[in-house]
Amino acid sequence: MSDTAKLVFGAVLGVLYLVIGLLQMVGAVVGPLPGLDALSLTGNLFGGFVLLVVGAVFIAGVRKLAAGSGEGAIFVSVGFLLSVAFGLVELLALCALGLDAYLVGEWAEWSVADAVNPLLYLAVLGAVGFLAWGRTFLRGLTAA
Amino acid sequence: MKREIRIALTGNPNVGKTTLFNALTGSRQHVGNWPGVTVEKKTGKASRNGCEFEVVDLPGTYSLTAYSADEVVARDFILDEKPDVVVQVVDATNLERNLYLTTQLAELRTPIVVALNMADMAEAQGDPIDYRRLSAFLEIPVVRTVGTRGEGLQDLLDAAIREAETSPHHEHTIGYGNEVETLIATLVDALRTDADLSGRYPLRWLAVKLLEGDENVLAMVRGGAAFPRVEGVLSSIDADEYEAAMADKRYEAISAVLPQVRKASFREMSPSDMVDRVVTDRYLGIPIFLALMWGAFELTFTVATPFMTAIDTVVAWLAEFVAGSIEPAWLASLLGDGIIGGVGSVLIFLPNIFILFLILAILEDSGYLARAAFIMDRPLYALGLPGKSFVPMLVGFGCNVPAIMATRSIEGEKDRLLTILVNPFMSCSARLPVYILFAGVFFPEQAGSVVFFLYVLGIAVAIASAKLFRSTILPGEASPFVMEMPPYRIPTAKTALLHMWSRGSMYIRKAGTIILAGVLVVWVLASFPFGVEYGGAESFAGMIGHVLEPLVAPLGFDWKVAVALIFGFIAKEIVVGSLGTLYGTGEETLPTALLADPGLSAATALALMVFVLLYTPCVAALGVIRKETGSWKWTGFSVAYGLVVAWILAFVVGHGAGLFMGGM
Amino acid sequence: MMDGTCPLALLAAGTEAKVADIRAGKGMQARLFGMGFCPDARVKVQCADRGSIIVSVGDARYALSRGIAMKILVGCAKETA
Ligand SMILES: Nc1nc2c(ncn2[C@@H]2O[C@H](COP(=O)(O)OP(=O)(O)O)[C@@H](O)[C@H]2O)c(=O)[nH]1
Ligand SMILES: [Mg+2]
Repeated sequence: MSDTAKLVFGAVLGVLYLVIGLLQMVGAVVGPLPGLDALSLTGNLFGGFVLLVVGAVFIAGVRKLAAGSGEGAIFVSVGFLLSVAFGLVELLALCALGLDAYLVGEWAEWSVADAVNPLLYLAVLGAVGFLAWGRTFLRGLTAA
Repeated sequence: MKREIRIALTGNPNVGKTTLFNALTGSRQHVGNWPGVTVEKKTGKASRNGCEFEVVDLPGTYSLTAYSADEVVARDFILDEKPDVVVQVVDATNLERNLYLTTQLAELRTPIVVALNMADMAEAQGDPIDYRRLSAFLEIPVVRTVGTRGEGLQDLLDAAIREAETSPHHEHTIGYGNEVETLIATLVDALRTDADLSGRYPLRWLAVKLLEGDENVLAMVRGGAAFPRVEGVLSSIDADEYEAAMADKRYEAISAVLPQVRKASFREMSPSDMVDRVVTDRYLGIPIFLALMWGAFELTFTVATPFMTAIDTVVAWLAEFVAGSIEPAWLASLLGDGIIGGVGSVLIFLPNIFILFLILAILEDSGYLARAAFIMDRPLYALGLPGKSFVPMLVGFGCNVPAIMATRSIEGEKDRLLTILVNPFMSCSARLPVYILFAGVFFPEQAGSVVFFLYVLGIAVAIASAKLFRSTILPGEASPFVMEMPPYRIPTAKTALLHMWSRGSMYIRKAGTIILAGVLVVWVLASFPFGVEYGGAESFAGMIGHVLEPLVAPLGFDWKVAVALIFGFIAKEIVVGSLGTLYGTGEETLPTALLADPGLSAATALALMVFVLLYTPCVAALGVIRKETGSWKWTGFSVAYGLVVAWILAFVVGHGAGLFMGGM
Repeated sequence: MMDGTCPLALLAAGTEAKVADIRAGKGMQARLFGMGFCPDARVKVQCADRGSIIVSVGDARYALSRGIAMKILVGCAKETA
């Protein structure tokens, strides 16, 4: 895939991460925002910060790509990597909490829907980008 | 034929010495990317063809002129202990710099074998090394190895056997040009008169080192018979100039060989450099770092929960089983209340510790941690701390014992001492149970924020103390920062797990020894004199508490807390267990008992948490402080300083909070 | 600008140069030689945004504090984009 595809995809992801991160941080400070249930914001200030950071990496890459700098592609690739990494963190946390609920016998009250959060579902998009571009990038990185 | 051969593994930092050492000896220990992490002399055994090998893993060093404590260890071992064969592990992807050390080792006239490690990486980069030709040029056996996959080990040992049995050893030295060679000859003549030195070290090597202005070698010569003549020669020349000229000659010799053994390839900008552009970006570097740290702590605390629940269940079941089925009652009490309860309250944090160490190992092995240290260098430098203090500080959140040991890679003595002294303020996971208990009971709504506040307070105290020490007892600036940025690698599960284990197992050992002993002491003090109520006011523990009560009374603590704090000195987790004992409840009902105690208010609980955070390192940490600083004075200072700071801050925080919440 | 020398610390990111001289203290000097910083070695500044810089020499990358980078003098040779 071309740099243009990467640029567009990175820009979409970047904006998503930034907007959702911003909403989550605002929500964490002023309390749950109405009408945003579909986004499953967690009210976790630090989680919001992480979303912003990942978004910022994407946007920095997109801006460099748009300006014609080859470095931008690396920023976007690192963005995919971060996106997937934090998705994994959240996935592991989710499994752990589920397991714990099972162990203490609160399995019935536990639901995946409650545990889903933006870092988790945005990572699905990140993973798509990672599969498209990230693997060759990683191979190049560790071979050299 | 020699049956036992001693080989020393030496080489630059991060070339895979420890990996090879593990592969050769099968021992389990630290493997990592952090430059200079091999700080201890590790020995192991291997055998091949009826030969027994004693293998020593030395710290990484760039040259034989020692600069840091690590390098002194490496050099002194080779010089003074005279291993039968020195195996220099060489990073095949970084040949030029690695061979510089080879040229120095060759002057020592010890048998050398070069292990051309990371051969897989060099080949993957399309830059394979013709090791046979390299061997021919160097006149040193060169063996191709891949430490991570255990390739080339047999060849390496075979070569070592051959080298150990060949004697005498000819010098493979490089010529430094007429002018220098004349000086070397003059110095060698002079040195010959010092019988003691000439018996122990190759004269040419001594002469070369003297010309290079090596302080250690000069110190060896000083006072000897040869000194006046040596000094005469040295004072007539400008040593600085020769040092550079000789280094030049060595690199010249190396660059003459390199094109013969590999295709010269020059990469414009490797992907590794490009990733560095992102993670060290002026604006994004620190945010990315903070985000990753958040991820690390998120994993540490959430992923551990099911494991903690499981351990908790097992311990509780065991304690109950013992209490119900063992006679006589005192034995049941010793086993149940004492050992199982006490050690159990410590074991429950194993999941936290292991997960944190695993994440650190992954970050370290991937190469990111070195970048993080680079990013944090400036902020740390502003605080008077060296950039390399960063990893010890981070490890301190897990346990201060391995953290303090990790300070060995810090070069300056003062820097190192400073890092050791402020490290205990990093809130280790042993303190967490105390926070969880008290924050959970007294601040059920804001427990998370309270715990977070304590972590931040710990960091703030560490920073303030560093500033204070810098301007008083340890004046000066942080020493300059020089650190290798290893290339990024995908960490293998095996190395990461080994790495985690080597740090985490210290904690298990601690639980099995110091904490077990501490728990027994607590039980004895709480049960005697014979016949008293367990942990009651008449027990020894109660008496000690009453004696100490006046000291902590201004903080709002009563005798029970005083006793718990004393026991917490053994290991801070014990505070929780001993309070359970002293309140005469199990850990299950301790929260209720605490809430019901009219002497404990939310403000007092806060003061107590602050006190536990800051007061004196635990016994295990003090043990390493003593060992690492080599001084009882600094160890004592660490205790005293911690106590004073804890008392003052607990007082301020407790009374401050009391004003807001009422009832101190 | 082939003739002049200037401290490594003053080079911009992406600049390549040749080491001309090293003026560090005794032990540090030996260490720097061992690391590959010796006269005529080609170095390239990879990152210069912060308190320290990242420099590559041969196949190795190092983070150096500005203090040390001031002691490594390089010939101000060519710049790459
Ligand atoms: N690809 C590759 N990696 C290696 C090899 N040997 C060691 N490593 C990796 O290099 C890193 C540093 O190794 P370590 O043994 O700690 O180096 P030391 O500082 O010299 O003891 C670790 O992450 C190892 O997994 C090798 O032969 N090939
Ligand atoms: Mg090692």
